[in-house]
Amino acid sequence: MEHSLIVTHGEEIIFTSNEHWLHPLFELEDFLKEKNIPSSELLVNDKIAGKAAACLMVRLGVTRCHVELLSERAIPVFKAHEVDFSYDSLVEQIQCRTEDLITDSMSIDDAYLFLRKRAGRVQGLPVKIENLTVDIGRKNILENLSLELGRGEQLVIHGANGTGKTTLLRTLLGFLQPVQGTIRVGDIMVGSNEWRHNRSMIGYVHQENVKNTFPISAEEVVAIGLSERKLSSKELNYRVELAMRRTGCFHLAKQSYHRLSGGEKQRVSLARCLSQNARVLLFDEPTSFLDSGGKEDLLQLLSELSSTEAPTMILVSHETAWLDQLNWPRKELKGGQLC
Amino acid sequence: MLEMLSLPPILKGLLVLAFAGFTFPVTGVYLLRMNLLPLRFMLMHGAILGGAIALAMQYNPFWTTMLVNLLMVLLMTKTSRSMQVDTGQISMFMMVISISLAFIFIYKFNVPAQDTLSLLWGSLFALSWHEVVGVLAFSGLLLAFQFQYRRKLRAVFFDREIAFSSGVNEGRLYYTIILLTAITVAAAMKLIGALLLDALLLLPALIASLHAKSLRGVIIWSCLWGGIFSLSGFFLSLAIDIPASSGVALMASVVFLVIYLNHKRFKS
Repeated sequence: MEHSLIVTHGEEIIFTSNEHWLHPLFELEDFLKEKNIPSSELLVNDKIAGKAAACLMVRLGVTRCHVELLSERAIPVFKAHEVDFSYDSLVEQIQCRTEDLITDSMSIDDAYLFLRKRAGRVQGLPVKIENLTVDIGRKNILENLSLELGRGEQLVIHGANGTGKTTLLRTLLGFLQPVQGTIRVGDIMVGSNEWRHNRSMIGYVHQENVKNTFPISAEEVVAIGLSERKLSSKELNYRVELAMRRTGCFHLAKQSYHRLSGGEKQRVSLARCLSQNARVLLFDEPTSFLDSGGKEDLLQLLSELSSTEAPTMILVSHETAWLDQLNWPRKELKGGQLC
Repeated sequence: MLEMLSLPPILKGLLVLAFAGFTFPVTGVYLLRMNLLPLRFMLMHGAILGGAIALAMQYNPFWTTMLVNLLMVLLMTKTSRSMQVDTGQISMFMMVISISLAFIFIYKFNVPAQDTLSLLWGSLFALSWHEVVGVLAFSGLLLAFQFQYRRKLRAVFFDREIAFSSGVNEGRLYYTIILLTAITVAAAMKLIGALLLDALLLLPALIASLHAKSLRGVIIWSCLWGGIFSLSGFFLSLAIDIPASSGVALMASVVFLVIYLNHKRFKS
């Protein structure tokens, strides 16, 4: 069978795929992440490539490729990113609707996220909150609050202290029972029996003021995300390593978690959420105890995450300067409602 | 000294102390990490109540104490869950109730108070074979629990909310931990006495937490230290003729002091 994609490293063929459309390139991405191979050293041989495939190759860091049938629309993308390319035949355009949907105004990251969504490779689940009312003691904290987020969307919730931002996150996690209203994550209602078995689909990162200083290593914190999985030690270690590599903290694996800087702790926390395969991430004041370097680090990490795995993310914060840099859509929580 | 081991009470004492030493510190880690120290005091008072009931009714003090402590823990967890009150507060309340009930028993049944309080000193060499088997079986159960639930325990120890969001049934695990801790404390009281049980439970965990970098390390080192203190304390007690519990406590205290000072010097 003829392969649609063949990737060589030096003389050696390291990857092949028989899939169609852009799937071989997404498979290649998974393969490179898993094996931790730098894509710049590879030669990618593709059967057909249009603008979408070119964007994807650039995003993957491919620097050399040969395409049997190349669309003219791919050439400016390759040239702009100094990709050394060659082809057997050149056509004006390939017969693929995706090629038309990638506009010139899209950056490589935008195109990549768009293609991931189109390929059904976005991790995020939709979140739907309807008429949510939550009381704490006798006080009405959230009142008839409604919110809808699509797959892989992001939202910042800001507001003054005591307006119920944390209460909203805790209710989403199922810690608090609403007086009325419903929360749906994907097809599952929070609080239902089905949710009890799928609770790990929501990852939680809270502010790093953990008073507990009992010894625990960074890799043990990441492994918490896999507590409910029946995995062999080998498989568990592999998944922990993968998650830590994805957030760039594998070098900290053996270190005591409590001795890490605020930024490093947040990387480890995110790796924990990735290891548990969380499809919705909730952040509660993640910058509270971070210095400027840590905040910068977190910003970069969130931006990477939103353009790769793209989980649905809700972040609660009142740090306006940092939120401006984050540039996510915002809603204010006021009087128990989002506005 | 070794010829003394041919005496059944000494041999039983050594056997039980060795097993308890290598396994009970696991619950010391639970006590420290889950901040269950009020529970330990409640159980101590429960032991006095159990002892008073046993002496008044002429029951076996070991099993009666165990039963009373288990009932107190079940009552405490049930109340804590249904009334949503902190377990520490309920522990305090139960502590007061149990000691007052103990004195009612002592007064009404003319139990010599000194006999009841002597239970707090432990009686390692007065164990029956049933009690030995009971302690050994429980040691095995404790290790099996720690091994089987090590991943979930790690999550709960780190942060109960994060454990919950990772899918762990942290509520059930928390109450199991309390139950196992109760049994351990009750058994350790019988072995080395309530006043010195910290040497067997808490000090190994405390020492391990000073030098280990991971939770796995804390658990392993706690058990190793506990075993070392038990065996060395036991033979020290035979060698210089002091109570076994004092030997264990002495060894644990000396090592704690050395490691603590070293840790402090390293930190500064």
